[in-house]
Amino acid sequence: MNPFASRISGNSWVTPVSAMSLVLGFMIATAWVNKETRVSRFGLLGPAQGNRVQSGSIDMEEAVANAQAEVAKLRLENTKLQNAMASQTSSTRALNDSLQEVKILAGLTELEGPGIRVEMRDSKKPASGIFPADLIIHDVDVLKVVNELWNAGAEGIAVNNHRVVGGTSFRCVGSVILVDNVRIASPVIIRAIGDPATLKGALELPDGVLSDLRDIDPAMVVISKIDKHRVPAFAGSTATRIGSVPKESK
Amino acid sequence: MVLVPVVALVLGAALALFFSRPLTGVYGQYLAVACLAGLDSICGGVRSGLEGKFHNDVFLSGFIFNIVIAFFLAWLGDQIYLDLFLAVALVLGARIFNNLSLIRRFLLTKWQDNRERKRMQEMVQSSGQAESIQ
Repeated sequence: MNPFASRISGNSWVTPVSAMSLVLGFMIATAWVNKETRVSRFGLLGPAQGNRVQSGSIDMEEAVANAQAEVAKLRLENTKLQNAMASQTSSTRALNDSLQEVKILAGLTELEGPGIRVEMRDSKKPASGIFPADLIIHDVDVLKVVNELWNAGAEGIAVNNHRVVGGTSFRCVGSVILVDNVRIASPVIIRAIGDPATLKGALELPDGVLSDLRDIDPAMVVISKIDKHRVPAFAGSTATRIGSVPKESK
Repeated sequence: MVLVPVVALVLGAALALFFSRPLTGVYGQYLAVACLAGLDSICGGVRSGLEGKFHNDVFLSGFIFNIVIAFFLAWLGDQIYLDLFLAVALVLGARIFNNLSLIRRFLLTKWQDNRERKRMQEMVQSSGQAESIQ
């Protein structure tokens, strides 16, 4: 005789409860929040739970990355159209040449050439005898390095593949650094186009911008020269809302 | 015995991964609250089963109606701008806790009884042996 049959027949509840458990499992998996449903359901949460959920994961990151890829694509198309227009007459060509120059200056095109790569990461040293905040890369550290690189003649800079332009801001929110509202965290990788020896020398000046970090832990900063690399185009918004160009300088 | 519904739950979730897509937007929220009702009914079913008071018709109707009511209340709350969603979650959460604690106590008592019985049997056996030696 089957031992299981007698045991189950003695517990008539097991079969219906298990059957409904199957249904419930199906329902839970359908109600589960995943990558695709997260965005559409996030707005339905109350503010308190919304904050709680968001602090767990940076779920807008992907949406931002997608939007930026779209912007980059459109800007490239824009450049192509401008070039196509320029091929018609010499006057439009001259106009376009100066336009492309301005776009390079503004960081709206990719830039390629030799340069350096600066990698900054939080120290792994135990915080004994050291103020713990000194072991972390802060927004100010990034800002100082970028400033020093401009000073040393960098022609294009990207922080974690986000192009630094005239209006770029560096800010600290909790444990992450905001570069133009894009969240980054350690390791911070700053890439610059320019003369590698000059850029590296500027960062390694005695008592320079990196000496404080290196005094605490030399492993926090790694600088390497690069023969040829490419920094991406700026992918943020370029619209002006408040200001406008005065008539007489048009 | 209690493990069979748990296995079925996992199985159901696996089936859903193959045959359906997660709901987006507000209906996902309603379904989430309905899941809570279903979980409560399952816990209640296991509890009454362990207590020997299980009735199939009560369980099945309770399962279906609780799910529908939870779904409906959450929907109604959104129609009249009242957080009934929270009320449903609160009540069902409390009931799930209650049911699970009763299940835990039942299993604990059963385990303790078994242990006690085994101890008594051993005592009887050893005293029997002692007598036979004498």
